[in-house]
Amino acid sequence: MRTLVLCLVSSLAFAAEPTAQEILAKYDAVMGPGTFEAQTEMTATREDGSARTYGMRFLKRDADKFRVWFSEPASVKGQEILRLGDNAWVYLPNLKRATRIANRDSFQGGDFNNADVLRVNYTADYDAVLVPSDKADALTVELKAKSTETAYDKIRLTVRKGDLQPLKGEYFGTSGQMIRSATFSEHKEFEKGFVRPARIVMQNEVVKARKSEMVTKSFKLNVDAPPQRFMQADLGK
Amino acid sequence: MALLKLALRNLRRNRRRTAITFVALVAGVGAMVAIKGFINGQRRQILENQMRGNLGALQVHKKGYVENVLGSPLTLDFADTPELRAKVAAVPGVKAVSPRIEFGAQLSTPDKKPLPEDGSELPEADRGITSFLMLTAFDPALERQVTPKRWEWLGAGRGEMLQSATAEQLVLNDDFARGVDVPMWKAGAELPPIEQRLAVLAPDRDSSLNGVNVVMIGAIASATPNDRRVGVISLGAAQQLLRMEGRVTEYGVDVDLKLDLEQVRGAVAAAVGPDYEVHTWEQRIPFVKDIVETQDFIFGIVSSILLFVVLLGVVNAMLMSVLERVREIGTMLAVGMKRRQIVSLFIAEGIVLGLVGGALGALLGWAWVSYMNSKGISIPAPGAKVPSLLRPSVDVLFVARAILQATAGAALASLWPAWRASRLRPVEALAHT
Repeated sequence: MRTLVLCLVSSLAFAAEPTAQEILAKYDAVMGPGTFEAQTEMTATREDGSARTYGMRFLKRDADKFRVWFSEPASVKGQEILRLGDNAWVYLPNLKRATRIANRDSFQGGDFNNADVLRVNYTADYDAVLVPSDKADALTVELKAKSTETAYDKIRLTVRKGDLQPLKGEYFGTSGQMIRSATFSEHKEFEKGFVRPARIVMQNEVVKARKSEMVTKSFKLNVDAPPQRFMQADLGK
Repeated sequence: MALLKLALRNLRRNRRRTAITFVALVAGVGAMVAIKGFINGQRRQILENQMRGNLGALQVHKKGYVENVLGSPLTLDFADTPELRAKVAAVPGVKAVSPRIEFGAQLSTPDKKPLPEDGSELPEADRGITSFLMLTAFDPALERQVTPKRWEWLGAGRGEMLQSATAEQLVLNDDFARGVDVPMWKAGAELPPIEQRLAVLAPDRDSSLNGVNVVMIGAIASATPNDRRVGVISLGAAQQLLRMEGRVTEYGVDVDLKLDLEQVRGAVAAAVGPDYEVHTWEQRIPFVKDIVETQDFIFGIVSSILLFVVLLGVVNAMLMSVLERVREIGTMLAVGMKRRQIVSLFIAEGIVLGLVGGALGALLGWAWVSYMNSKGISIPAPGAKVPSLLRPSVDVLFVARAILQATAGAALASLWPAWRASRLRPVEALAHT
């Protein structure tokens, strides 16, 4: 079986078609590069039609260290999130301390999952195979969770042929039901040679009236991210 | 009438056989009534635990709340004003009103040891846990008048109930609290430092994350099915957490149970107006319907088997009686009795057996049910750990139906033996030895 897969992989490589692994690696490089700082805005639309916009700053170091600072609206100003591997903490100013939070939480009442935003490491979390794509100039891979710890059981990821930029993601739960779907657009060169979708719309497929939109304002690679920023004691400082 | 007299006399001829059949009938019908009474009592117990311990007799919500209960019901809240409370309280039959908020939250327990200085991770066993649960927020002074059983169940658990309407305290289900190892704070002791308290995190009314530091002051023993991942918190702490000052999602209402609940429900609905909906406790607990349906199904099978076995005994007894009386039947036919009358005679015997046996059985069953109803059986409700009194009960209609079933069944069971008797040829029957 293993050799068969290897044969398949190598034959695909010869045909200059990217392998499923290459697509995953590209996705991780685009959506979750090693060290970066980003300023984003998330607008969450809820079933009653009301919408709320959150302003936040991300800082990431290595593969699995993240900080998030919320600046807007007033009700969440001063909140912070720290994620180190499997552990996640939230700092709430009115609690005056950090507390652990679950990984599967929705991100500020929106339809992004903590795992969608903070931990993007599909190569580590999922096994992937190429499947026929319904779009002509696109490639689709199907991702299957390696463990039960991941946010989703299965993901169908569609990327653009050529530069492999993400176009669409469909996320499935353990029951096989599609929970969310994401549309990636406005691919923009934030830094020389670094292109990334500036707009992601996450549609809640269970409650159709719910969706969240994340717009990236700025994205800087290889910034200074000192290790003390990724200590629990630094939260709220 | 003569037929009936004849039937009675015939039954008395072989007393032992009649007695055995009779006892089987009494025991069968008696057991049927008793089992039914027990099932009814158990059902009542579940419902009363729900009413007196979870919901209250009536619940007032914003219109559309119950339909959307799985969505985001925090937005379907209402202002808890003295006027609105007074409107509900003024309805005849209403005894108490308790404002509440129902919401989903995440409980985060503190780490058991401080984080290592070198920035490495704590071993898994020492880490605090996060867990989702459903919380009900209330003012303990008001809630106690609506769902007093919570206090009873707390007595079977640990600790104390929330100490005030604004206390930053939590009371959890005991199984759940032990399962996730939540530290308990003894009322009156010095409060632990903030980082050693529990955190309750929840999206507020606008879905922005918020939190409140609390301590667990008590744990309620499980008393109803599906009550494990639940807890209660003070109304004040919840309103602060959810940023819902002066707002609630429901009123729990206690009602004088001597009155017709549906009528009071209608009166409360009229008093609060069309912006609200009012439900009785029975309307709010769909899982009870499942339990009821399963129980009815099982009871149907059990009572059918019981009746079938008892009636087989009747068939056997009647057949014996026919075989014993071949010569007698031959004589009756010879002196001009019609075959139809022979059939009637044996069926009449069956009817008398069924009616008397069934009636006595039903009466005995009913007597047991009535006695147990006044005495009460101390066992936990299904899915509960707290013992409570089960009071069996049956209605008169069921008792009457049981007697009717026994009578009709016995008549039916005599049909074949009676037909066989009527088919005898007089000459052969007379010669029978």
